[in-house]
Amino acid sequence: MQRLILSFQLLVGFSFSFAQTSINPDISAIGTFNTFTNFIKDTPEYGKLNFDIPEFELFVDGYLNPYARATFNVAFHEGEFHAEEIYAQVVRGLPLDVQIKAGKYLLGFGKINTVHPHAWSFIYRPLYHQIYFGDEGLNDIGADLSFILPTGDVYTALELGIFKGDALTNEHHHEDGHDSEEEEGHYEMDRGNSPIFVGRLGSFISLGDFSNIEIGLSGSYGVHSKTDFYSSDDSTARPSNSSLNYFYGGLDFKYKYRPDSYTSFAVQGEALWNRRNVLRKDDFGLDVQENINTFGAFIYLDYQFNKIFSVGSKYDFTYGIIGDEPNFNTLASDDQNMTSGIEGWLGYYPFEETLALRLGVQYLMFNYADGSERDGETTINLQLIFSLGPHKAHPF
Amino acid sequence: MINKVIIIFCLVSSVVFSQIKVVTTTTVIYDLVKNIGGDQVEVEFLSRGDQDVHFLEVLPSYMMKLRSADIFFQIGLQLEMWAPQLVDGSRNSSLIIVYLSDVITPKEVPTTKVDASQGDVHPQGNPHYWLDPDNAKKIATKIYEELSNHSPGFDSYFKKNLENYLSKINKKINEWEGKMLQLKQKNIICFHSSWIYFTDRFGLDISGYVEPKPGIPPTPSHNAEIIRIIQQKKIKLILTDVFYSESAPKQIANATGVKVLKLPTQVYGLENIKSYIEMMDYIVNQITSNG
Repeated sequence: MQRLILSFQLLVGFSFSFAQTSINPDISAIGTFNTFTNFIKDTPEYGKLNFDIPEFELFVDGYLNPYARATFNVAFHEGEFHAEEIYAQVVRGLPLDVQIKAGKYLLGFGKINTVHPHAWSFIYRPLYHQIYFGDEGLNDIGADLSFILPTGDVYTALELGIFKGDALTNEHHHEDGHDSEEEEGHYEMDRGNSPIFVGRLGSFISLGDFSNIEIGLSGSYGVHSKTDFYSSDDSTARPSNSSLNYFYGGLDFKYKYRPDSYTSFAVQGEALWNRRNVLRKDDFGLDVQENINTFGAFIYLDYQFNKIFSVGSKYDFTYGIIGDEPNFNTLASDDQNMTSGIEGWLGYYPFEETLALRLGVQYLMFNYADGSERDGETTINLQLIFSLGPHKAHPF
Repeated sequence: MINKVIIIFCLVSSVVFSQIKVVTTTTVIYDLVKNIGGDQVEVEFLSRGDQDVHFLEVLPSYMMKLRSADIFFQIGLQLEMWAPQLVDGSRNSSLIIVYLSDVITPKEVPTTKVDASQGDVHPQGNPHYWLDPDNAKKIATKIYEELSNHSPGFDSYFKKNLENYLSKINKKINEWEGKMLQLKQKNIICFHSSWIYFTDRFGLDISGYVEPKPGIPPTPSHNAEIIRIIQQKKIKLILTDVFYSESAPKQIANATGVKVLKLPTQVYGLENIKSYIEMMDYIVNQITSNG
């Protein structure tokens, strides 16, 4: 362990000593512009052409020294700037060929979460991401270690990380800045300084010259809330303090067949199991702790039928209702309500990585446990993605 | 004592008898390494011969190849923009990376500021230099130097292989020059800017490209311009790499009667092309018999 720390210190020290002699890093910017029409009853946008504020991501990326790289990614999203990713990564030179990544970044839970949305084949974030990871995906501050396991010619990587846990709470702040107000059916939420743990074991298997498959197992564990609650009707009793834990289990796979430069067929899917402690009122109005088990999954097909066109379809399912603000203490009745969706798209890529035009349609269906009726929602989106500067090759 | 002898023998034999593990980005380099390294080298390539080397997907299986490699030969001149991701992913801190472009004189090096409005222009020059057989000789010599530096004990073995190969290719160059003589100063059209080293070497003139700019797909207005050039200069041939779409060249051929030659620019680019010399033989024979 001491050797590991010493090596890391040497490498970081090395990076500072070389900082002034380094040449310029790669700088690139990717813009996204969405126009959409939805058919959601009783909304002012119904049937009209709407324009989203254009978004962009600015990437600054390069080697710090022969052993380490750094990446900065600033995003302009919904009219606001924020740091999407800031991290350094030691890529070689450590004992056991370990790689260390530290900073703020998209976590390696599943495969799609680490891929920036402009590089997805589809337009809409998978539904279970929206419920369990939030609109920006599972993005957190911390560090992870990555090991390549000795599995012969099969590439098998194990990633283990510890993170602050902001990813669990980012989406639950109220607009007035108070995220700890007790509301009806909600509990005071304070995670304190409880870290969360995230890991993934993934194997890549080459099935020949033209096809490959990757399979991964992910897990995340930690405290999602700490809360005071009353478990007796004695109003003078001290409230109990409880840590409410969660466990996310994930399964992902991707298969791609690419017989030539102009044709490819990809199938990719991910599933998440969420087991979580929640607090609920019992029949007597007392707080009780329960466990809930919920799920989410998606699968998509993407067929590139010539150099510049692709067509695809995605099926999505999740517990929870898309658009509702999740409440992780109770999840309200989100262990019973469900959303499912179908998305289809046509992609046009006239100039390699520099320009993409995608026409997508998504249809969402809602299923409420109490029998409430809600019409399905259709959204049609025309998306333009444009890229300036050097662009890295996309990983499998 | 016996234990010590065994350990020393194992150490010595591992140094003396272990093969140099080499990975190459292309099949042309692969073939040259095989010829120079012989049975002292274990060599693998990344990009298949029928793939466009510009655009290789970053696959973990490539990282595994590099993980245990000693030397990684690349074309250079920013042809393999994907290579650094593979090197990082391999975590191989002792990997020797060799850019073979270091030993050639690049053509089409931009003299003004390069930007994307000019298409996929390589700022350090056109990277398709292996299509000039004189450059193949320089690559082979560089490969010999690197293998010899890595395993000086086999220097004489590598040197002998190099001399044999240079002698073989020199004979072939004479043959190719003889065949190509009939086409000197003839105008041709190319699909992509892959052929400048070949045409300069054998005296052909490129009158235009099917791509309006490097890497930019053909457009109807540009096709019309190419048709006009073909008719005006009575051009007989369009050269295209095997992996490019035939659609635009065929449209032009239908309008003009020009012959479209799909040619391998890498070893294994076609099934029967198993070496650099076979590839160049095929290219020269196809051009001379159709030109």
